[in-house]
Amino acid sequence: MSGRESILARLRRGARRTAAHPGEHPAPQLAAGFAPFAEALRAAGGAHHGPLPQNKLAAKVREIAARRAPQGRVLAEPSAAALLGPGPWETPAPDAAGHGFEDAAITIALGQVGCAENAAVLVTGRDAPHRALLFLCRHLLLLLPLRAIAGDFHSALAALPLNALAHHHCTWICGPSKTADIEQTLVQGAHGPLSLDVIAIAPGGESGAQ
Amino acid sequence: MAGLPEGARLARHDAAVFALRGQRDAAVAAVRDWEALRERAAAIKAHALDHLDLLLERFEEKARGAGAFLHWAQDGEAMNAIVAELLAARGAKRVVKSKSMLTEEAGLNRYLHARGAEVVDTDLGERIVQLGEERPSHIIVPAIHRSRGEVGALFQRTLGTPPGMDNPEQLARAARRDLRARFLAADAGITGANFAIAETGSIVVVTNEGNADLGMSLPELHIACFGIEKVIPALADLGVFLRLLARSATGQPLSAYTSMVTGPRAGGELHLVLVDNGRSELLADPVQRGALACIRCGACLNTCPVFRRAGGHAYGPGAPGPIGAVLAPALGGRNARNGRGPRGGRNARSGSGRAQNFAASLPLASSLCGSCSAVCPVRIDLHGQLLAWRSARRSGGAVERVMLRAAAGLMLRPRLLAFAGRVLRRLWRPLGWRIPGNPAAPWLQSRELPPHPGASFRESWQRETR
Repeated sequence: MSGRESILARLRRGARRTAAHPGEHPAPQLAAGFAPFAEALRAAGGAHHGPLPQNKLAAKVREIAARRAPQGRVLAEPSAAALLGPGPWETPAPDAAGHGFEDAAITIALGQVGCAENAAVLVTGRDAPHRALLFLCRHLLLLLPLRAIAGDFHSALAALPLNALAHHHCTWICGPSKTADIEQTLVQGAHGPLSLDVIAIAPGGESGAQ
Repeated sequence: MAGLPEGARLARHDAAVFALRGQRDAAVAAVRDWEALRERAAAIKAHALDHLDLLLERFEEKARGAGAFLHWAQDGEAMNAIVAELLAARGAKRVVKSKSMLTEEAGLNRYLHARGAEVVDTDLGERIVQLGEERPSHIIVPAIHRSRGEVGALFQRTLGTPPGMDNPEQLARAARRDLRARFLAADAGITGANFAIAETGSIVVVTNEGNADLGMSLPELHIACFGIEKVIPALADLGVFLRLLARSATGQPLSAYTSMVTGPRAGGELHLVLVDNGRSELLADPVQRGALACIRCGACLNTCPVFRRAGGHAYGPGAPGPIGAVLAPALGGRNARNGRGPRGGRNARSGSGRAQNFAASLPLASSLCGSCSAVCPVRIDLHGQLLAWRSARRSGGAVERVMLRAAAGLMLRPRLLAFAGRVLRRLWRPLGWRIPGNPAAPWLQSRELPPHPGASFRESWQRETR
């Protein structure tokens, strides 16, 4: 009997089949919108901007980039670049390997869902096909449609775009990379980005974002 | 490593660990539906454990459909062999690994090192203990027992940082630089998984540092090893557990990175190793099966008065704290079991007798105050399970039986007891509890007993009331 069959056989002996699934947890009706999201983001060590109409996004991104990493290499994932239009950012080739981005100063990506309860922003594999870019850069900048911010995490999970899981990864990002492993002193930028900026896109301004 | 005085070390550890409990309490107080969440999580886990075989089969089907390779490992040794084979077949020598209690449980690093692979732990706390050649002392903060000065001295010796550098930010930057180069050069990334979703075939990996994500994104080969009990039925269930997990662990509403990985990345390979290592037998135990619901948040450690004073190393090679004391006689007992589980669970395993006795003795190291059960986000009856293990524990052997009989004899003879106490107090320091074969030795390897008061309670009472 293979390892698989032996394990499953033992599990079948221990399976009682008595406990029913309790069903979905009722969403706790928390306030949605940008204000509670921004407050949670600050607590998680991130910075918020906007909401801004789409035609103001590029200027805000330039301003943040100049402050965070003047003269640094800025990369925009394809869906974010499409929203921003032309600018001092490069869009990686579809087949580019992560190892080519180790000098990335700033990565810009589009988030599909936000959650006010915990300031998490969902970045899917479709919007960030070069996944390593989200973690190799020194600063991460996410664009998030305002209407995509749910109040609680159950609603945020339920709002996952169709086929979101079909693109290898869906990553919830909640503040910059951090550690408190040395005497519980909080340090931002343990391995991934040292900072996280989230720019909310005003309603009607995210056409093409989905 | 340069050591702090024992008293200062204990006080610092106690305060640091209990601060995590305080952060948890503050976060929990802000969640109105916390108790309902706990109840829901416990019910989902009960359902999942009752249908574990079906859920695993569904997970396997979905994960395979998404392009992942599935492997089943009966025990830690089999898991190690599968990982070693995957690495060897691809000529992968440089491995970056993120935090995984399971790979600690199975001794994966040692196994791979012995076969020529360089395995680098990438979580900062794990890296500290790896460089220091010791074990993690906590589930979520593995180096909580080390001071900044100790980490500075360690990094000076191993990473070449300047002498006297003990600023946590500078130390973290030094580790980041060193590890970034290792991520970029890695041939393979090994992670655990916090959850596996049967409905979608996805694994969920949670970190604050982003180390697991770099390990999954840069090398072409990603191997995820996790216990079979990690499977949950549906994506919607994930919301319940994620709202509980980080709040219970560190007081955060959510960790910085929660990655749901479904299938390999373009051009990469994803191998999922489902590990039993005693879990299927534990599932058959009507009392102890509840421990399989654990989501490894560490909340029970942070609140436990014994863990806070004893430290994680006192619990031996497995998980520390109350959950470790519950799991050790069963799972850690692949190295150490003591015959039978509570209520007749079939737990017989090979392993050295000394290790078996040690694992079986861990449930005794509890005040049974119940604080662990009160904070557990999935409502595991931890102190009830500790008590059940105690009830099921067989005598530890001839020496223990003789000692217990001797103790009973003393207790029944007050004068003899007083005399023995006087003798023991005189011998306390000279003996120093470093007696070869002393069953308390594992606890005392990283702890020193406090000075003896010099008089028994009875003698002190008589003196005070004279």
